Amino acid sequence: MSFIDDFLASWREYREPGYYDGFDYHWTMSVDLDRCTGCGACITACQAENNIPIVGEDAIARGREMQWIRIEKYWEGEFPDVKLRFIPMLCQHCDAAPCETVCPVSATYHNQDGLNAQVYNRCIGTRSCAVYCPYEVRYFNYNNHHWDAPLEQQLNPDVSVREKGVMEKCSFCIQRIRQAKDVAKDEGRRVQDGDVQPACVQTCPTEALVFGDQNDPDSRVSQTMNDERAYHVLEELNTAPSVVYLRKVETDAV
Amino acid sequence: MPSDARPQELTYADVNRDVVRSLVETGSKYYITLACSIGVMLTCFFFPWFYQLYYGIGAAGVNHPSVWGTYLASFIFWIGLSHSGTLLSCVLHITNSEWRKAMYRSAEAMTLFSLCVAAMMVMVHVGRPWFIHWAVPYPNQMEMWPNFRSPLMFDVMAITTYLTGSTIFIYMGSIPDFAAVRDRTTGWRHHMYVVLSLGWRGTDLEWHRLRWAYTFLAVLIIPLAVSVHSIVSWDFALSIVPALHQTIFAPYFVVGAIYSGTAGIVTVMYFLRKYMNFEQYITKVHFDNLGKLLLVLSLIWTYINIVELFTGWYGGTSGEIEALRYRLFGYYAPLYWEMILFCAVAPLLMISKRFRTSFVPMLILSILINIGMYTERFLIVGTSLSRQYLPDAWGLYVPSLVELSIIVGSVAMFITLFLIFVKIFPSVSIYEVKETLPEPEPDTTTGEPEWQPTH
Amino acid sequence: MASIDRRDFLKLVGAGGVGTGAGFMLREAIKHPVENLVPYPVPPEDFSPGIATWYNTVCSMCSAGCGITVRTREGRAKKIEGNPSHPVSQGRLCARGQAGLQVLYNPDRVTTPLQQTGERGSGDWLPLTWTEGLSQISGRLGELRSSGQGGAVCLLSEGQRGHMHGLFEQFMANIGSDRLVYYDYDHPHPLLAAMNRLFGTSELPYFDLGNTDYLVSFGADYLGSWLSPVHHGLGFGRSRQGRDHHRGRFVQIEPRMTLSGAAADEWIAAIPGTEGIIALAMANRIVSQGGYQGDDADAWAAALEPYSADAVAEQTGVAAETIARVADTFAGTGPSLAIGGDGAGRHSNGVDALTAITALNYLAGNLGIEGGLIFNPEPVAGQGAAARHASYRSMLELAEDAREGRIQVLIVNQANPVFTMPAAAGIGEALARIPLIVSLSSFMDETTAMADLILPSHTYLEAWGDDFPEPGVGFRAGAISQPVVSPLYDTRDTGDTLLAVAAAVNPDGALTAATTEEYLREQWRAIFERDAPTEEGTAQAQEAIAAETVEAAAEVVAQAAPEDDAAADAPANAEAAVAQVAPAEGAVATNPDPAGWMPDAFDEFWNSLLRAGVWGENTRAEQGPVTVDASVIDAIGVDAPEFAGSSETYPFILQPYLSLNMHDGSGANLPWMQELPDPLTSVVYGSWLEINPETARELGLRDGDLVDVESPQGTISVPVLTFPAIMPNVVAMPVGQGHSEFGRYASGRGANPIEILAPQVEPETGSLAWNATRVRLNPTGRRANLVRTSGLSRDLGRGIIQTTATGEAEEHASTKLRSIPITVEPA
Repeated sequence: MSFIDDFLASWREYREPGYYDGFDYHWTMSVDLDRCTGCGACITACQAENNIPIVGEDAIARGREMQWIRIEKYWEGEFPDVKLRFIPMLCQHCDAAPCETVCPVSATYHNQDGLNAQVYNRCIGTRSCAVYCPYEVRYFNYNNHHWDAPLEQQLNPDVSVREKGVMEKCSFCIQRIRQAKDVAKDEGRRVQDGDVQPACVQTCPTEALVFGDQNDPDSRVSQTMNDERAYHVLEELNTAPSVVYLRKVETDAV
Repeated sequence: MPSDARPQELTYADVNRDVVRSLVETGSKYYITLACSIGVMLTCFFFPWFYQLYYGIGAAGVNHPSVWGTYLASFIFWIGLSHSGTLLSCVLHITNSEWRKAMYRSAEAMTLFSLCVAAMMVMVHVGRPWFIHWAVPYPNQMEMWPNFRSPLMFDVMAITTYLTGSTIFIYMGSIPDFAAVRDRTTGWRHHMYVVLSLGWRGTDLEWHRLRWAYTFLAVLIIPLAVSVHSIVSWDFALSIVPALHQTIFAPYFVVGAIYSGTAGIVTVMYFLRKYMNFEQYITKVHFDNLGKLLLVLSLIWTYINIVELFTGWYGGTSGEIEALRYRLFGYYAPLYWEMILFCAVAPLLMISKRFRTSFVPMLILSILINIGMYTERFLIVGTSLSRQYLPDAWGLYVPSLVELSIIVGSVAMFITLFLIFVKIFPSVSIYEVKETLPEPEPDTTTGEPEWQPTH
Repeated sequence: MASIDRRDFLKLVGAGGVGTGAGFMLREAIKHPVENLVPYPVPPEDFSPGIATWYNTVCSMCSAGCGITVRTREGRAKKIEGNPSHPVSQGRLCARGQAGLQVLYNPDRVTTPLQQTGERGSGDWLPLTWTEGLSQISGRLGELRSSGQGGAVCLLSEGQRGHMHGLFEQFMANIGSDRLVYYDYDHPHPLLAAMNRLFGTSELPYFDLGNTDYLVSFGADYLGSWLSPVHHGLGFGRSRQGRDHHRGRFVQIEPRMTLSGAAADEWIAAIPGTEGIIALAMANRIVSQGGYQGDDADAWAAALEPYSADAVAEQTGVAAETIARVADTFAGTGPSLAIGGDGAGRHSNGVDALTAITALNYLAGNLGIEGGLIFNPEPVAGQGAAARHASYRSMLELAEDAREGRIQVLIVNQANPVFTMPAAAGIGEALARIPLIVSLSSFMDETTAMADLILPSHTYLEAWGDDFPEPGVGFRAGAISQPVVSPLYDTRDTGDTLLAVAAAVNPDGALTAATTEEYLREQWRAIFERDAPTEEGTAQAQEAIAAETVEAAAEVVAQAAPEDDAAADAPANAEAAVAQVAPAEGAVATNPDPAGWMPDAFDEFWNSLLRAGVWGENTRAEQGPVTVDASVIDAIGVDAPEFAGSSETYPFILQPYLSLNMHDGSGANLPWMQELPDPLTSVVYGSWLEINPETARELGLRDGDLVDVESPQGTISVPVLTFPAIMPNVVAMPVGQGHSEFGRYASGRGANPIEILAPQVEPETGSLAWNATRVRLNPTGRRANLVRTSGLSRDLGRGIIQTTATGEAEEHASTKLRSIPITVEPA
């Protein structure tokens, strides 16, 4: 029965958070909710970088918005003691991702950098990953999208354009990671902290987003993970996300 | 039992005559019905589906939180409907229930065709059906295998196994009947049945082997059928969506499946009886027995529903409570209460024997139950997905015209398949019905065919 | 053929099946071992990224002047990033800045010169060649000039800065006209007036948010639409969490929660137009509590006497204790900062209010210090541009001139007054009286649609220019704007068009440059030569200039936030970012070392300028003590705001606010901006009217109910949206939608609240008091399509956004925790 024992052992290991620490990189993002103002710069930066289509008013009215990163907003209290809090919600790149187990064709899988990668040309569009994702960050191409000429000239040549029937989501700007790794490889070194930033991190005016390698203890993101304000959204689901949120500080001066 | 189940005046000859006539004597009514159902199937199923293939899944009403819709609900529904056929037939076969014998063939056919329709619903459901074969494990140069950890993959396995098993089961059970029909038909039908009957001659050895294999398959299929719907339920239960992530889901789905399937049998039997002239074979006894079964299933189903609500309430997390609240009082609450009315309250009428033995009320009730069961599947898909963990991402799902049309079309597809079936397969088992009749006098079996084709 | 019986057949079939299976198994078995049951599918990381070229230029999506870096591939602009070495944006950018690409690639651009052949506004356009177009306008201008009527030519442009302003000035001088008018809806006239009144400066100051410990914002949406949102955002983040053990706190006082209000630690609802009164009550408290010890304390006390917190509490809707507490914290925390924005300034008492608010900084000693209000030096170029900015009143005068026939030719450059002025101004009808309207705009907006001739300009990503950001960052900095792609269409640089016209009309004029590029080069040569060694090239100058390239970038960053912990790595960050996105050398161009100054080194300087995109002096001048004139102190005071319409007939005060996405409507034709959910309401693609939920319930209105918003000046229809953070008697509406022209994405969408504003002005500057219109709501009984991306905006206790307060942090300690205590100044 050693075969079964092996299988169970590796299964358990896979489910354990920290499994990916053994690999070269473990890309991680931290979001400081005390800094985030909800301005939405990240959304547009992401749209520009990742060829996210403009779906149009009707599609959004039908609940088919397409934004790999979105800002969720939650009101607290009633006028005049009312607060509005924002939280950027993007693919959490969970180490124990529910979406990865459910895809029948392995179109989404965990790569060795700790990324939850989506393979568009493997996707058959069962959409089960979107159901299984508790963060609701997977977006489906309900139809082919059209760019009014010449808007298509803006499309990023490093990123594919997805066709109808394909699920898509935040990739942590995998094309930029790839580029940084290529450069680092040419120079015979590891990718260093700050070499690579996804579009959202790069543009964030308040520097609320920090991106880096969790396996590098000196990286800024590792330090934010050690911050006592750090938490995971929906931690109780035990998905081991790679996006760390830092609690908003509310002093309640009154 | 035999005396209750079978009118004594029937003879072997009558059985042969009636059944063969149902195969070869085709009135214009049949053709009109078939043409209609094919027409509806083409316009309501294939045309919208082709449009959807062209446009994308956006033709349906699915959206960001509710990425699954009626296609998946239909899929579960048809899988569910498939259940009682073969499963019931097997169980009753093993328990030697004589009353099964007149109805099991059509019940098994239901299984087969609802599985086919369910498979079509999968094709309709996925975003890129032209790559659906990737969900099947086949060796390829890219070494790309499906993901065996996926409950959807379990589904593919379970359903293909069940489909294969059911096909073999119905076919094997039909071989003696094919032979009987072969001997009583001419022309192209004869040739077809020659092939289908696999050279059956009715020797003792053949009968022995058939019985043995048949029973063996029956025993095999029972756990298979239970597993199929358990596995279908895991598509949902293995997710972490509030109100779907429930341990009760497997038995819930299995019971629901048998429930809707049994109701489906009642519906089909009513029409067979009425329009295929099987009044003497399908009798009040069958409706009575099926009614009892339905009643029991309805009670179990109700119980599980209560348990489901209870676990949600007892779980007490915000997500579960909200899912519960939304289901009971939210946008789709009327559908929920409709389901309760049709599937939990109305079936209580079957406590009365008079009700169980009245054909039309049973027909209506069986249809209502299936409408309720369809609603149940829709609610499972529709309400849970639109109320998940992040309230800011909540949404609302409303089926589109394409989806509604495809629901209608899928029913037409089922009817079409069934209509074709009744002209090819003896829809009442000749030999098993004969088993319930008294042995005829030896000389009657040696005569001419009791019924001659008219051409 | 020998017959095969059934048994043989079955045997064969069986044997065949087994053989096939075995063969397959064998083949599998002798192959290399398969390690994974599920081999890795190849992810998109397989792509080999191409080589991009980066150009530094300046964003012109709003007036902040962020430096940007545009990534181009194969001659096409692909992505805009902030320029890490630009002191304003520091590598960051807002959503609108990101969407600049859709200005360039907008499908609705005017692609060729056009002439209106039908009636004005009929939309019958005839394509022209540039030669034809230019000769038409030059001919007309030449006639006017030679007949001495050059003064009847008006150039109405969006605001220009830097040397482009000089070019515009010289162009008008060439024509012989003084009618150079800049028009921006949100030009901060009241703030400039307040600064001038208090401190005698004509520059906007630098608000050092990044180092402030306590910011009180009076209706300034500094993170959304006010002055320089990206830079403010940087400051906000650094003040909050960028400094060790030190978290800045933010208070927002306004009637309707803005983006900055949502970000604030404390949001205080105040009745519209009373922000200045609250500021005076705070000042009163500070002075009366002895928080201000200056020589003129008595004068202040006397002037502020009527404004005790108790006295104003009812008028302002803010409790006296709250005012006192905020005032005490403000005075007791250092450095603190008070800013007043459009919420306070766009009232009939706007300048008084902003004066009062800005005076708080004086009383609390926040002037000229880090984390306070820092005065900007006069910019290197573009002086006098501010004076050209038309207020609402001067636009009315312009309209009057047009009606009276004193304007023969109107040249419009990107300005859209027909859209951004109230219908009451009658600007459209006035413009219609002008015999010839020439538009240089890139888009068919409402004003351009009235033109007779369109000579379309390049978009900013194809054009030349330079910019000296305003407000500056406390030291002199400039940026060069250069084409990042070759022009997409048959359009021209605005400067080139003007130069061509000027040369044709007046060949002997001062404008001799053939192209804008050439013009800019000449101007920058002047800057270059400014530091030509005068023998006394001081060591100080050398020191300042020694910090070149990447260090300079770091210096700039660090200068903005020297104590910043995060910014302690900012140099490294900036360096990394530069390495990633920008040419590694020459991150900031500086004037050459005077010691080694060579007259012919200009080309080198110019190239480094183009490469870096940024030029900076990198030193913040020492600022001496500032005094406020006694007469100003005596005159300080804020009257009650005046509103158009009586409160009986029009029970609600309308607050039209600048949309984060569309700004004043200039972003409405960008699909990304239409599709970006409004930060506070999640609405996309449309207009809405925000209303307090209680009020909505009283009126029986639900989200999406269409109401007619009626002011004394007109009516617009717009769907209602309940908004939890707005005062009950206030309704608010974003500006930006409601275009009748402006392309497929903008036109016919939503409603424009500016249309129904009353012509209420702030008397001193004549700027439009856009917050001072009263309205009433008439439900129509119809529903409108209000498209939102959000579901329920309440978290139902699910702990999605978790918060922490001082001292509580240990409870949240997780296993990986390494303690960095956060302390917040006690209230």
